[in-house]
Amino acid sequence: MTTAPMLETRRLNKRFGGVVAADNIDLSVETGELRCLIGPNGAGKSTLFAMLCGIQRADGGQILLAGRDVTHMQAFQRVRLGVGLTFQTNRAFHQLSVRENLAIPRIPHDAERRALGAERLAVALETFGLDPEDETRAGELSHNQLQWLEIAMVLSGYPDLILLDEPAAGMAGEETARTATLLKRLNATGLTIVVVEHDIAFVKEVAQSVTVLHQGRVFAEGPVEAITANEEVRKIYLGKA
Amino acid sequence: MSGLARLVGGPADIGRGPVFWSLVALTLLGFALYPSAVSEFQVSNTAYYLLNIPLGLGMALLWGYCGVLSFGHVAYFGIAGYSYGVIAGNLSDSPSGPVVGALGGLLVSAVVAGVFGYFVFYARVQKWIIPILTLVLTLLLETFLGQTAGYQWRIGSVLLGGYNGMTGIPSFGFGEFEFQGTSFYYLCLVLVLACYFGLRMLLNSGFGQVVVAIREDELRTETLGYDIRARQWAVFVLSAVLAGLSGLLYVQWGNYITPSQVGLLQAALPVIWTAVGGSTSLLAVVIATFALNWLTYTLSSEGNQYAMVIIGALLVVTMLFFPRGIVVMLAEHLDRLLPRARREARR
Repeated sequence: MTTAPMLETRRLNKRFGGVVAADNIDLSVETGELRCLIGPNGAGKSTLFAMLCGIQRADGGQILLAGRDVTHMQAFQRVRLGVGLTFQTNRAFHQLSVRENLAIPRIPHDAERRALGAERLAVALETFGLDPEDETRAGELSHNQLQWLEIAMVLSGYPDLILLDEPAAGMAGEETARTATLLKRLNATGLTIVVVEHDIAFVKEVAQSVTVLHQGRVFAEGPVEAITANEEVRKIYLGKA
Repeated sequence: MSGLARLVGGPADIGRGPVFWSLVALTLLGFALYPSAVSEFQVSNTAYYLLNIPLGLGMALLWGYCGVLSFGHVAYFGIAGYSYGVIAGNLSDSPSGPVVGALGGLLVSAVVAGVFGYFVFYARVQKWIIPILTLVLTLLLETFLGQTAGYQWRIGSVLLGGYNGMTGIPSFGFGEFEFQGTSFYYLCLVLVLACYFGLRMLLNSGFGQVVVAIREDELRTETLGYDIRARQWAVFVLSAVLAGLSGLLYVQWGNYITPSQVGLLQAALPVIWTAVGGSTSLLAVVIATFALNWLTYTLSSEGNQYAMVIIGALLVVTMLFFPRGIVVMLAEHLDRLLPRARREARR
């Protein structure tokens, strides 16, 4: 018996007027994989991310979650199926306390998902040094603490797959390393992780496999070493470095 | 028990701690004893200030806590009032007529709000359009009711009455007992307390936290697994029922209603009460609704032609100097002063 991939897209298309943002994207992420999506500005990363979450509708093609077609589902329905996501800009609730932020996500009924989810959340809280009972207003936290809070908040909904849009944006070296550590530790618990990322050093640090997007298409895909060594990828993305 | 205490005393509203609750108890005692100290006329006027409070609370819930501004919530006030008049009027021989009428009034306002809200929220109408749509609904209702003069506009034995309005609406009561004067005042007081504490508990619950999260960031809340359309819809209907409760009490108090109750001027009033008090606090809106109704009544009963101009000016002053509401900002100021006072007292 073969199990369906955790996340799969089939010939996914999206146009904005004359601009093709997604051109027949086929993507397949296995359960327990840690995949990075990279590509230069305008490659279609954000559009793909928005379509995966259900914020934007695809013009054509399919999105499957663990074999289930979710193409026409609303964002909240996909979340209930086990997807968690963070955005490029921090969207933790600044007016609410740390405790309240962590209490907001909807928790699934399934006992198995709950147990596993609670374990993953505990890993995140420990790695980031966050206290789940902290009554500090989120708006008073530093930038990187806010980023971490948002990741922990998403994990409070006990997802099986998390989509992270530039989780280490704006962080300094030490904090970036901590974020990378968390992703690896979470992945070790079997959590499937898809990261959209700009910082190639971060990608090298965390990813097992990488998908390179260019002009709305999958340009290259493979293990992180092969991709970063690929001459063509270096040309379009790394500025021939 | 501690769960209940947390629901009532949680952070969803201003006012916590023993000093605050002692003040609340004293105020309530004052309101309870009030009828024995003043004339029946004054009791009746105070009942009028009280009966508007559910409408104000509905606005606070919808606008302040959920972030959706309705400029036409008086529509549900009017719908409940007229429906009560029609039902209770037709059942005037039955001892349960007023009760059936009250339930019917609330139900009709809930159904209308449910249908209207469904189209607004499930179509994901942009937020800034909602005040306009809601205002249009209430103005349509006013226009429609205004042309219902004449004998042909009757439901059963009750005439809608056009611009002269519906008269002879029965008071509320059970069987032989009728709520009038002092008993009506106590009815209003009890209902206001029930609405206030009920909402305070609702907003301190998990449901309330999600409502506030929707106000703060709709997309973030939806991507935490919530169908925000359903929540906004539910809050909209609940706030409409609260407006309907005020409408019911209004027609039971004055035994009449006219289309101007759902007109532009009346539509603006709950928005003003809520903004002046501070939309993010239930208590602030309770205080502002009571105070501004008292002010409007006092000014106009002294023959002052400018009551509405003064209320409007108050709104402008609030917007300029107290953008989060007068009561809310005063409470925040007190909150900053008090810990210092406590620290000094301990020394």
